[in-house]
Order: sequence, then structure tokens, then C-alpha cells
Amino acid sequence: MIHLENVSVEYPSGVRALNGVSLTVCKGDFAFIVGATGSGKSTLLKLLYRDVTPTDGTVVVEGDDVTMLKPSAVPYLRRKLGIVFQDFKLLPEKNVWENMAFTLRAIGAHPRDIRKRIAEVLELVALTHRCDAFPHHMSGGEQQRAAIARAIINHPTVLVADEPTGNLDPDTSWEIMQLLDRINVRGTTTLVATHDAHMVDRMKKRVIQIEAGYIVRDENRGGYQNCEL
Amino acid sequence: MNFRSAEYLVQEAFTGIKRNGVMAYASISTIALSLAVLGAFVLAALGANNFAASQIKRFQIAVFMTRDASYEDATKLSEKISGINGVGVVEIRSRDKEWAEFKRKHPNIESAGLPLNVLPYGLDVKITNPERITIIASSIRQMNKVDGVLEGRKTAMRVMAVAKVVRAVSTIGVLLLLITTAFIISNAIRLTLYARRREIRIMQLVGATDQFIRIPLVIEGIVFGVTGAIVAWLLLRAGSIYMGHTARKILTMLGHVSSNVAPLDLAIGLVLTGGLIGAAGSLLSIRRFLRDE
Repeated sequence: MIHLENVSVEYPSGVRALNGVSLTVCKGDFAFIVGATGSGKSTLLKLLYRDVTPTDGTVVVEGDDVTMLKPSAVPYLRRKLGIVFQDFKLLPEKNVWENMAFTLRAIGAHPRDIRKRIAEVLELVALTHRCDAFPHHMSGGEQQRAAIARAIINHPTVLVADEPTGNLDPDTSWEIMQLLDRINVRGTTTLVATHDAHMVDRMKKRVIQIEAGYIVRDENRGGYQNCEL
Repeated sequence: MNFRSAEYLVQEAFTGIKRNGVMAYASISTIALSLAVLGAFVLAALGANNFAASQIKRFQIAVFMTRDASYEDATKLSEKISGINGVGVVEIRSRDKEWAEFKRKHPNIESAGLPLNVLPYGLDVKITNPERITIIASSIRQMNKVDGVLEGRKTAMRVMAVAKVVRAVSTIGVLLLLITTAFIISNAIRLTLYARRREIRIMQLVGATDQFIRIPLVIEGIVFGVTGAIVAWLLLRAGSIYMGHTARKILTMLGHVSSNVAPLDLAIGLVLTGGLIGAAGSLLSIRRFLRDE
């Protein structure tokens, strides 16, 4: 479960990204976080994997108060989460297989388990045939599928995706959303920040709308725009 | 950390070097040139110091005995002088040789009415501590059957002053160059890491601990340093062989100027310096990147 209580974030530059945000996302939920550029969507997600610490309030992820974690404990928090980015963030000098193996090596997995788990996940994201490819030899959609595969290889309880379809065409975006949905159906809590109105409308999931650092809408099976407006 | 992880991290380091070939080449060549310059300066400084020290060791006091002094007197005086602090070897000069030399320089001496060897006995006193030359000379002057003492104090002082300057300049020079080399090498490694800062950031985001990120990069730094040191050693060896031949051709004296550093010692010194600076440069740079992210 994810719980934010009265969270505010002010950057050193003086910009207030979030203002007293409270939010609960239950285990197994799928939620879109929508809002204009600079509204605070990415900041909200960064709070979950302690890339940003709040100025006020508490952030609880899977029972851990993220704000109280020592820096040395942050890698262990991140191992509970899968993180997907708009720019994929694959290790450029490693192929798909090595990108995944690196994540498992980092947590001390046995080489036998590594082979088995990579094979399973590559099959799930339909990238088995591209396991030797380097990121710069892959299409955007393939890179994002590889990034998602890496994010879920560790069986995270929470998957956080920041604009995962921002660099993709509509068909590929839909494939990625379906993939995220399949992962969610397997029990992974999924939070997706997006600008993609078409995708949000089509998926019919929970929608949390942020404007100027405030949550202005939290609607189950919502659309990109507020129906009441 | 278990053996499996250690093996993986070493493997990661070498894969990283292989896949970042251009940056690796840039780092290694920078390290090699910096260490070669440092090594050349150290060798030149040692050579200059050794040369200055050898000049100091050549100083001796010439003792002239009175004309009535016998060989036994010269022997006794020699033993007495040997006991003075700061005195090395004392040699009794051969009167026959000196007389022969005297006659060679003055061929008309016998016809001028001086057919017999009239030269007094003399001693050459080698000094181990040139700073005591004046005290030693004064002590000898007070001894029985000593007619005169030539100490060459002014020349000795001048050479000692020059030697001191050479030692000070070379020590300061080596220290400054060592600092500069450390700065250049750590900067070269920092540039390599800067090119990989995105990689470091991704590693952090997937939950790698700082230690897991740091170890392969420190190994890379050590490999860069050691490889650069080996290249620097090869450059210095080639340079010293060429310079040795040229110097001997130009000036005989220069042929005797030597740092007295064996090639193996030079290699060990360079490899240790390169490896240490490589490791320290990597550690400091990574710490900065890990903190910045």
C-alpha cells in the first residue's frame, strides 16, 4: 500500500511542487496521475522511490516511512519498486539480457535464478528474440518493453511509470499500456503518470489529477478530463 | 560480498573498459604521459642529487709535513687523523711519484742544483662530512710535524651550497609534479566517470548499493593507472637508453650522471603510483557522483 499524508515539496530553487497532498493507493490498484507539465506528477512519483524528500508530511510505501530512511537503505526500498521512465533509462553499454541481469546481480541473485527469471520476463514482454540487442539498436517500443521487463524482474509490489508512452506512437503506446495492465492484473500496484488523454480515456482506470501541486480530482474509472466540467 | 559477486564486479570492470574504449584510451594515454613526465623528473632529480653528492665526496684536505718528518711520523700522523670525526680514508702521498711529477713539470730542476728529492711527506685526507672541513683542518694544523694544510674550504662550501639548492629544488619540484600528476590523473578518471554518470544514475535507480556501483569503477581506475604506468615505464626506458647514448657522445661527464634506479624498481614505483592515484581518483570522483545524484 502507498500512503501520502499532507505531503509538501519545495525545491531549493523555491518552486513548490506539491502542497499538502494526501493520497492512498491500495495493494493491486492501477491509477493514472494526470495533469499539465509542471503540475507535480513526476515529483509525486519521485517521492515514492526517495529521489525527492518531502519538505513536510509522510510518505509510506509498503509499510516503510520513506522519509525516515537512511541513505544506505534507499537501494533496498528501490528493490521493492519497479520504475519505468519516459526515456527508458537502459544501461547503454549493456544488451537487454545484461540490463536485466545487472538488476538481479545487484540484489545478489544466483546465476541460475537470473537465467530463469530473465527468460520468464522476456517472454512476458515479448522480447525473447531481442535479448542480445543493445538499446541503441532497438526501437522506442522495444526499449520501453525492455525497461518494463527490467522493472518487474525483481517481482516488485509496486510499479511506478513516469510518462512511459511519452516517446512512443499511439499503437506502441497502447501495447505498453496493455502490458502494464497485464502486470497489474498479476497483483502489482501500478501508478502511471501520463499526458496521454486517449490512453487514459480508453483504459478506464482510477485517475488522480494534479494541478499546481494540489490533487484536484481522484476518480475511479475516470477519463483524462473531469466529466463534471 | 561473496566470491560470485566479487567475480561479477571484476568482470563488470573489464567489460566497462572494453565498451568505453575511447574514454579508456584517453584516460590511459593521459596517465601514461603524466607519469612519464613525473618519472623523468624524478630520475633527473635523483641524477642531479647523486652528482652533487659525488662532488662533495671528492673533497679532501692536503696535509704537508715538516721537512724533518720521517715515514714513521707520516704513518703516526695518518693514524691520528683517521681518529677525527668526519674523516674517511687518509693516504700518505708517495714522495717518489710527487718528485717525478715535479721533475716532469720542471725539467731543469736537476741542472739547477737540486738533484735529490727534497719534498716533504704529505697526506691526503678524505672527508666524509664536508661541513666539518674547517674543524678538521684546524685540528690537523695543531698536530706535531704538520707544516701546512690546504682545505679548499671556499670551494667545498660553494659545492655544498649548490648541492643543497639542487636537493631543495628537486624535492619541491617532485612534490609539485606529484600533486599535478595526481590532479591530472584523477581529472582524466573523473571525465571517464562523467561520461558514465547516466549509467551510475540508472544503477542507483534499479536499487544497486553504492558499494556495488563503486567497486567496478575503482577497479577500472586501478587498471587505468597501472596500464598508464606500464606505458610510462616503457617510454622512460626507451628515453633513458637513447639519452644515455647521446649524453655520452656529447659530454663524458654526463655519462656518469645516473639516478642509480634499477629498471625493476622504477617499474614498481610507477605501477604503485599509477595504481594508487587511479584508485584514489576513482574513489573521490565516484563519491561526488553518488552524492550529486
